[in-house]
Amino acid sequence: MNIHRVTRDLVATHRTPSLADKSLRVVEDHRGQLEVALDPVGAKPGDFVITIGTSAARYAAGDPRITTDLTIGGIIDHWSEERWRSTDSANPTL
Amino acid sequence: MKIFRVEGTLVATARIGGLESHRLLVVQERSGGKQVAVDPVGCKPGDWVIACGSSAARDAAGSKEYPSDLTIVGIIDYWDDELEERAAVSARNGARSTGDDARR
Repeated sequence: MNIHRVTRDLVATHRTPSLADKSLRVVEDHRGQLEVALDPVGAKPGDFVITIGTSAARYAAGDPRITTDLTIGGIIDHWSEERWRSTDSANPTL
Repeated sequence: MKIFRVEGTLVATARIGGLESHRLLVVQERSGGKQVAVDPVGCKPGDWVIACGSSAARDAAGSKEYPSDLTIVGIIDYWDDELEERAAVSARNGARSTGDDARR
């Protein structure tokens, strides 16, 4: 699992039936790399979230027939920008 | 799922039997890297799309046996890459500038 921050909602009207009507969010990792995650919890822009990848993402979506490789598993109560970025440095300030 | 821009169709006449039945597209990541994706959705060149990997790529292409590791699952309605870049940068600066501009 990984920590991402929600950037915004993503609208994709034209999609495969296997994505159903699930909500999608643009999320970024601590390096600013953008990805798209399926969101069964209702996260808002700015929220720090736990994301689940690979085939586990499909079970996290609540139905293994959903074709996703990244699903939001929960919203983190307390997390800071500083703590997030410190995963990159040799001397994390935790 | 990752965000890509569709560059165009890829023609590969001699291909394994399992790869038949869907178009192959050359897609480009925002960072510039090119990959090949299976397209069951029907995209045009220039479309911004989302594509998934892992076992979902096989299922999204139609069956568990389909040998794909990157399949397009949707077309993004609105995506302005420059706007996204600027929004991300301003969100980052607004939150806190740590001085480590090591992203990409």
